[in-house]
Parts: sequence; structure tokens; C-alpha cells
Amino acid sequence: MTPFETRPLGAGHVRLWIGGTGPTLLYLHGFDRHPGDAPFLTRLAQTHTVLAPEHPGYGETTPAHPLHDITDQTLHYRRAIEAWATGPVDIIGHSLGGMFAAEFAALCPHLTRRLVLVDTYGLWNDTTPLPDPFTLPPAALKSAQYANPANAPATPSTPGDLAAATRYLWPIPDRGLSRRLGFIRAPTLVLHGTQDGLVPPSYGQALAAAIPGARFVPIASAGHYPMIEAETTFLHEVSSFLA
Amino acid sequence: MKFHWFAEASYPTLPADFREKKISSWVDTPRHMADPATVGEMCRMFIRLMQQADRDGFDGLAVNEHHQTPFAVTPSPNLLAATLANTTEKAAILIIGDSLALYNPPTRVAEEMAWIDCLSQGRVIAGFVFGTPMDSVFAYGIPPVDLRDRFEEARQLILKSWAEPEPFAFNGRFTKLRYVNLWPRPLQKKFPIWVPGSGSVETWDLTIDNDYCYGHLSFSGLHAAKPMVDAYWEYVAQRGGDPNPHRMAFTQLCCVANTDAEAEAKYAEAVKYFYRNRYTNPAYEAPPGYRSQKSVQSIMGHRAVTESLVSAEDRAKAASGELDFWDYDRLGYIIAGSPARVTQRMREVCTDLRIGQLIACLHMGNLSEETGEMNTRLFATDVIPHLRDLWADQEDRWTPQGLAEIEARAAAKRDAA
Repeated sequence: MTPFETRPLGAGHVRLWIGGTGPTLLYLHGFDRHPGDAPFLTRLAQTHTVLAPEHPGYGETTPAHPLHDITDQTLHYRRAIEAWATGPVDIIGHSLGGMFAAEFAALCPHLTRRLVLVDTYGLWNDTTPLPDPFTLPPAALKSAQYANPANAPATPSTPGDLAAATRYLWPIPDRGLSRRLGFIRAPTLVLHGTQDGLVPPSYGQALAAAIPGARFVPIASAGHYPMIEAETTFLHEVSSFLA
Repeated sequence: MKFHWFAEASYPTLPADFREKKISSWVDTPRHMADPATVGEMCRMFIRLMQQADRDGFDGLAVNEHHQTPFAVTPSPNLLAATLANTTEKAAILIIGDSLALYNPPTRVAEEMAWIDCLSQGRVIAGFVFGTPMDSVFAYGIPPVDLRDRFEEARQLILKSWAEPEPFAFNGRFTKLRYVNLWPRPLQKKFPIWVPGSGSVETWDLTIDNDYCYGHLSFSGLHAAKPMVDAYWEYVAQRGGDPNPHRMAFTQLCCVANTDAEAEAKYAEAVKYFYRNRYTNPAYEAPPGYRSQKSVQSIMGHRAVTESLVSAEDRAKAASGELDFWDYDRLGYIIAGSPARVTQRMREVCTDLRIGQLIACLHMGNLSEETGEMNTRLFATDVIPHLRDLWADQEDRWTPQGLAEIEARAAAKRDAA
């Protein structure tokens, strides 16, 4: 049986990976494709009811309402959580999903229990400009994404997935998140692969510094995808934080 | 049949190893290569050539918009159009076009085109473009997923600002204006509107729905153009659109000389320079979201036809400036030779593709001004008159309607003097 199902949401449909029992954990994927039926999701589902939706515009998901900006995007997940869960939920946001998760936590504190942000986009620092993920040649992109490029999945993102990402990452992945980080009330853990060539660890440190009480934990031997390249360390940090 | 003079205002002195080093000719081309004095010289030359084209009898002078590239140093077509409006007398000022998504607020386009229309006594053709990915989404930073929505909203605003007699409020998604009240209004009651494209089906729909002139503006040769242009006309027929050839514009590099041998001697290096120095980092040419899936599939289909007609080797050589001059001609990248030869080939192409608006590119690459002058003169005197009969039975609603009157006034003024 496939752990994916499609649920109606507002005017759209959301395809999501669902597994496990226990407190609800929302996992928001990164700027490229949904991780699919990944081992780290199955392991998270050992302690949580994991909901891992595809973002609107990715794969088969269509938006619940017209998406013009990051506020519309945040309200898409507010609709989802109000429909799928009761009360606040734990949230892990990775990469672009980290931007969405941080926005959600700032705007919907009543729905956010604990927050984990992983190699998150959303800030910009002129002294350390980020590479452009949409123009790196394939080999350079892999080297930027992975500590060991051999860890890259076989199935690449579709142009449709990346097109959806451009709404928030193009031409500079800053939609004003830095002005809102101070509103986050949920306990927050910021994880960051030490070898992330897309979003360098200094961005994770800056993120943690701007969120009241947040803790920064670097993850060694991982690039932009610690949940894949350092799965056990990643899960250890997440589960001790969420426990 | 109408004939418009055009050149991509290419920077003429790129280093000899520019192509070899695979330097992208768009977006991030090293800026130190652009010598401001050379840019001034070349711009003055293009203005002189277009002034000559006006005197020699061309129907229109085409100007376009590109950013951050030595391929065409024309960041603002309206600046060039204004210069020409003030220093030419008869030809249409073909702005092909302004990149609507890049003007903030887009009433800037409406105002400037209206102003140029006043200055030129009603000679403006209004062109609206999406812009290449390099221009619009890289140089100007518009998220690809927003480009069409921005274009469409800007188009609505511009059309309304030309048409509405009273001030109005515009509450768009990207542009909010409490008072839209154009000063000046255009001289023409209704602008002829052209929209160039590169095969996106959505652009075809736009031109058919609004009775615009569609422009196939490409330099990739007849075999690349034909499947796409044929598909366009089929689509027009399917949608019940007007099959009038005057609603189709087409760019063609032309190299006219007194003899075929002279053509090769005078133009070969410039044609090769033009193609050799057009390499663009592929990542800048196809960003995600720039084209819909439907258009990508449609374009891939045309490409497959092209690839069955021109070998991969020829295509690679053409793109790197290594094809023999006459092979460029044979494959339709250029039409070259004596006026008689060019006339005959041009008639075949315009008939075959149903072209009513020919945008003749009469300067290319690093061509000398002298040869550009010869090209312009020979084309005007020994080619155009022999092609005027083409589509003469079909009404042209896509060029300014007052041009004949303007020409008569200019002639009377000359006679009086």
C-alpha cells in the first residue's frame, strides 16, 4: 500500500505522505521535489503521525486558494493544519519548506508546538551571497547540495517543481522573513549541514540568532540534506528535541 | 507586402576568442569588454543607417529591447525610437517591442509610446514582448511563474490608458494606481499592435484573440522557422483566426551585393561574427517556469522536424560561426547574393511562410557601415520594388493607417523646398 494519499483542501488538492501514530508532525519539503517514500519519514513515523505534503505547484498538488505571495502560501498550511489536526503540531521545515515553516510559526503561533528548521532558505546576507540553485550546472549543483554527491537521489525534480519554487526563491530568496522571525514563540531547533553549498551554515546561525530562544546544531558530513546524508544524527537531534 | 529595416545592435569588437572561451553573451558577459566610446560610435551608426532606410523607402524601422548583452545593445527601444521619430519622416516606428513585465508602473510604456506617436506624427507600431528569459527573468529578476501574469496585467492597463477618455483607477495585482490619466494621448486612434514570440502556444492565442500581428523573430534559419510558422498558421486556421499574411512578421538576415561573389567577400565575416558570438549559458535560456508544459512540448515537436532537416553537425557549425558562407545561405540562415537572387529567394520564403511583414536584418555582427549602407540601398532599390506585388490583394491593418498621408505631406514639403 502506498503511504501517499490525495486530500481536497479549499479549492485544491494536496498529495501527501502519511504514516505512523502519535502526535502530529508536519514535514515541509525543500525547494526541489518531495523526498517521496524516504526512510527518514518512515523512522519519524515510529513516534509521530507524520504528514508530509507536496507544496502547491509541486507534483500533483494544487493550491487551496490563489497563491500570490508568501502570506497566501502560509495560509495554505493554516488551512491544512486546521483541517487535518486538532490543536498545535510539531513542524519540520527543510530548505524552502523551512521558510514556509518559519513563516507559519510567526503568523500562526497557536498552531505551532515545536519547530525544527533545517538548512533553511529565507534570509539574505550581502557579504555571503547564496549561489543561484536554478543555474548551477548539474554536477556543480550536486556538489553544492551533497557532502557526497553519490548520495543524490536518482529521480530529479521536474521543471514544474522548480517553477513553483521560483515564486519564493527568485531572484533572491528573501520574502521578508527576517522581519518576522522575532514573532516566533515556539521552541525552535535550527539544524544545518556543515557542508551545505547552497545555504551556508552561517545562514543557519543567523536564523537561530534571530528567533527567540532558538538553538543551533550543526550536522557534520551533510550538505543541504542532513536527513539523507546523516539520517541517524538528524533523527537523534529531532527526536530528542520533540520528545 | 511591407518591408522593415532592422538590426540587432551587436557590439562589434568582442575579442577573437570570445566564443572559444564559452563566455556567455548574455546576463553576465564581462563588462570590461564594453568600451563606452565604441558603443557611442555603433549607436550613431545604427541611427544613420535607419535614417537612410527611411529616405530609401522602407516601410518601417524596427527597434527592440534587450538587457545585459553585447548581442543587442538596446536596453531601451523607446530611446532609439524617439531619436528616429525626430529625425526621420515617413517610415513607421516599429517598437518590437517593450517588455511589458519590466516597466513599473507599466503606464510608462503607454506614455512613452503615446509621446513618440505624437512626435512622429502617428507612425508608431506598438510591440509588446515577454522578453527572452535572459532579459526578463535574469537581468530584470522577474520570477518566471509571474511573467505572463505581469505581462497580461500590464497589457490591460496600457490598452485602457490609451482608450479611456477620463481618469480611472487601476487596482491590479502588481500595479495599483489611483489616477491613470495619460498625457499625452497617442495621435493614432488605435495603435497597430505586434507581439513577437518564439513558439509559445499561449502567445499564439493572445495574437489570435486580439487580432495582433505575430512576429517570428529568430535567426536560426528557415528550417527552424518553417515547422513553427506552419504550425502557427494551422493553429490560426483551427481557431478561426484571420489568415491575412500581413499579421505575420518574420526576421531574415539579408546580404545584398552587386554580385554573389561580392556578397561573400563583404558579408562572410560579419555573418560568422554574428553567429559565433551568440553563445549563451544554457541555464539562462530555459529557467523553470518560463514556458508552460504545453508550449515546451509543442516547441520540442517543431525542433524534431528541424533536426530531421538539418544535421546536428551543420547546426553546431552554424551556431559557432563555422559554416561556409553559402551553407548559411543554403540552410536559410541568411539570404545572400545579387539583388536578383535575393529577390527570388525572398519571394519563395515569404510565399511559403505567408509573410506579409518582412523584418529585413540588413546589418549584422561587425559589418562595416559602408556595407550596411550598400545593403540598405540595394535592398530598397533593387529588391523591394520587385516584391511589392506579394499579397497586394490583402488589406494591411497592422501598420499605421496614416503613413500614406504622412508620405504625401513629406513629398509636398520637399517639392516646396
